[in-house]
Amino acid sequence: MSHGSYHPILDPTKAPAFPSAVLPVLRNPQLRKNVAHAIDVIQAKRGKLVAEKTDWQELRTAGAAIRAHALENLGFYLEQFEERCTAAGGVVHWAADAAEARQIIVKLLREENASEVIKIKTMTSAEIQLNPFLESAGVRTYETDLAEIILQLGEDEPSHIVVPALHVNRSQVREIFSRTMGLKDLSDDPKELTNAVRTYLRRKFLDIPTAISGANFLVAETGSVVVVESEGNGRMCLTLPRTMITLAGIEKVLPRFQDLEVMLQVLARSATGERMNPYTSVWTGVKPGDGPQKFHVVLLDNGRSSILAKKTERQTLRCIRCAACMNACPVYRQTGGHAYGSVYPGPIGAILTPQLMELHHARSLPYASSLCGACYEVCPVKINIPEVLLELRSRVVNQGRDQAGRLFDPMYLGLRIASLIFSRAWLFHTAQFFGRVGLRFLRRKDGWIHSLPSIGGKWTQTRDLRGLPSQTFHGWWAARKRETK
Amino acid sequence: MRASLFITCYNDTLFPETGRAVVKLLERLGVELDFHPKQTCCGQMHANTGFRAEAFSQAKRLVQMYQDTDTVVIPSSSCVAMFRDQYPGLLEELGNEELRKQFTALLPRVYELSEFLVDKLKVEDVGAYFPHKVTYHASCHGLRALHLGDRPWRLMNKVRGMEQVALPNLDRCCGFGGTFSVKNAEVSSAMLAVKLQDIVGTGAEYCTALDNSCLMHLGGAMHRQYAGMKTIHLAEILASTEASPMEVPA
Amino acid sequence: MNVHVQPRPRSRQMILERVRAATHSVTKGAGELEDAYAALPRGYVRSGGLSGEARIALMIERLREYGAEVIECGPEQVQAAIAAQLASSGKHTFVVPAGLSAAWLTPGFEWKIDRDLIASEIEQAEGVVTAAFCGVADSGTIVLHHSAAEARRVLTLLPDWHLCVLRARQVVETLPEYFARCEQAPGLATYISGPSATADIEMTRIKGVHGPRLLHVVMVRDE
Repeated sequence: MSHGSYHPILDPTKAPAFPSAVLPVLRNPQLRKNVAHAIDVIQAKRGKLVAEKTDWQELRTAGAAIRAHALENLGFYLEQFEERCTAAGGVVHWAADAAEARQIIVKLLREENASEVIKIKTMTSAEIQLNPFLESAGVRTYETDLAEIILQLGEDEPSHIVVPALHVNRSQVREIFSRTMGLKDLSDDPKELTNAVRTYLRRKFLDIPTAISGANFLVAETGSVVVVESEGNGRMCLTLPRTMITLAGIEKVLPRFQDLEVMLQVLARSATGERMNPYTSVWTGVKPGDGPQKFHVVLLDNGRSSILAKKTERQTLRCIRCAACMNACPVYRQTGGHAYGSVYPGPIGAILTPQLMELHHARSLPYASSLCGACYEVCPVKINIPEVLLELRSRVVNQGRDQAGRLFDPMYLGLRIASLIFSRAWLFHTAQFFGRVGLRFLRRKDGWIHSLPSIGGKWTQTRDLRGLPSQTFHGWWAARKRETK
Repeated sequence: MRASLFITCYNDTLFPETGRAVVKLLERLGVELDFHPKQTCCGQMHANTGFRAEAFSQAKRLVQMYQDTDTVVIPSSSCVAMFRDQYPGLLEELGNEELRKQFTALLPRVYELSEFLVDKLKVEDVGAYFPHKVTYHASCHGLRALHLGDRPWRLMNKVRGMEQVALPNLDRCCGFGGTFSVKNAEVSSAMLAVKLQDIVGTGAEYCTALDNSCLMHLGGAMHRQYAGMKTIHLAEILASTEASPMEVPA
Repeated sequence: MNVHVQPRPRSRQMILERVRAATHSVTKGAGELEDAYAALPRGYVRSGGLSGEARIALMIERLREYGAEVIECGPEQVQAAIAAQLASSGKHTFVVPAGLSAAWLTPGFEWKIDRDLIASEIEQAEGVVTAAFCGVADSGTIVLHHSAAEARRVLTLLPDWHLCVLRARQVVETLPEYFARCEQAPGLATYISGPSATADIEMTRIKGVHGPRLLHVVMVRDE
């Protein structure tokens, strides 16, 4: 679906920079209303359920520690997962990058003679842009999560990692379903819309013998895979087909089965504001007579091992994709997800996307934050997102230091000059003097400045600036000291 | 009690009245105040924009400047947050061992204004009188970095004549974010509009905070929109007494 | 489109090498790893503090919040309780796992016992009756380990009506208590917390997207 005049681009190599990508959204009051409404509902539910949990901080501490431990020993746990999963009848594949993962999956589908595949919502498959690739390879993909169906049928893009269609309202959903499913008399009652999907998908679940899923967790100790969901489409895909292919980032490993006692307690509360999501499925390889008899896991690196190598950034990989950070983010609340130009929006996207892209793209994302810290406060595995944002900002600046264009960047010049000024008190005081004199020309009768030149104009777009007072504090202090002597 | 005032670069330049209020308030409470004449900036603007080397040189300057000081008071949450949250990382990455030791020794002696009043001076009633309707904006750094908790309210509750109105969505950022306000001016303005709606909705005469940075952002928009409200740093409210009311800003 | 499949068998080795280099780990001894794991902070609540009666009451309350119908019975009345639920369901054809107690199969209904039933046969059933492995009161979760009495996964998925028999001594208060009860990690497990649901359209919660829309629980007071 296009939103007014634009179609969202979620490919970091092609997406516009964040400050310009937000413009069409900020001019779309309906979209902003849809986003703010959804966010406010989830936030209220989450707040209530977190408040009733007396050991919430201890759960966060444990969650962070378990994930950090798994990452510190990732090599060991990945091999253990592979060994146990294989012993249980699964086949483990390793994909260094997106292209290799796509090729492995297509090859497996070819072996199955699959012309159609049913899918459980997986952000990782969106990351590697699997669906368009499969379609061009002649495999029709059917998303089975309600929100993903809305997006797939509406030719739209996800704007949130847990509620991907939160930017679409019920009348827009009605329009998409009635057009694509040929249901002329459909109302915009969410119950009726949901029922339409139940009917639409039931035959697909029973007829299509190949499925693709993501994984919320991989358990090294047992070789099991865990999928957390609400609708039951996941259970359908995990149970009915002959063949299941699971795509999972290498960072998804938990050391032991018991670690789920922490992860499952924090995940649903953080993600949807529920004590527990309706359905959680755990499976291990292949079980004769129950579920798919062929099972493949594709372990995807795609830039993760290079994130792992960086001390401050490593914590990014602890993420359990609950989306609490985007729900809490005051920037996301205004912009929604599309402006982040990636399948991973919000604060986690602002740090994850540039790292997966090794900063060649998405250089504006680390700046898409006011550093208010709300994301860190809610993160169930204590990812200090502001800290990582600052680390990435410093990398962006350092990459720009030897580029000729920097001398035409007013922000770069301004901060370099400010740094010199702050290095000596007399320079600072001289700059204050000239600033006061210079800005006097811009001051209006009321003593305020209504319009500033250069990047200052960005400030005076929506705000005035009080004219500089005639005496600085240090000037007042010095005068007072002279008087009292 | 002796304390040294780090006024911060933007308060020095843009909000000297806040500095004067801090002096009036703390001297009234018997604090012997000092002011290091060579102070400039804590480096937060540089650090937050990614200019880490530049931020480090400010950090180094400040740590060395204040190493022999008993107590440093800073009337800006975000600058204190810079000290606490960012200096350790900067010094670990770029600093020498001696500087790190100096910093570690200095850190527990650095106070944000409300911390200094409540924790160090152990005072809540500072004898203030401010007969106005006021709403308090909890800046993100005060709230989530410094965990100021109820300190601002413990101080405000003792101000005579003042009527407080609670601000809805207290934990939501006003959209300033330093250079964010110009780098992402449109988003910042959208956040500002939402915040301003909440603030104006309180019907208060003044919006107060412990950070003039947020207040500059909010006040600039109030002025642009003829909102009929003003911003004021909490220090100025606390400095105000019946005998000597707040000075009217220029 | 012509897809060139170029298997890269060395990716496994390459990824593992990159991961090991990134974490600076020389092959850590299992013992050392075990120690590091054992030292992880676990200050959260492991076991709950409710009395037996309060624990069961909480479980029932949570199930009812989810819209499940719960009836309680003594250990001697399980058969009667099941029969009553079946009678009031208005349904006639039920599937059951082969390991379910034959005494529970009330006469007068059509019972399909799961001996490798195919999906379309299961789908034609109007309901399913199973046992459970555990109940977690804190979140109102029913845990299935898919033993012979708990059914294969597909049985509790396709029919629209699920009757689950849960015994009071199977109910724990907290999720960690469930994990403590697992002497061995299950190969298959499903945790059900209320009927399937979605909030994808304007955050309006709609029950019954794909799984059973109606959940009935017979709570056997055997404590």
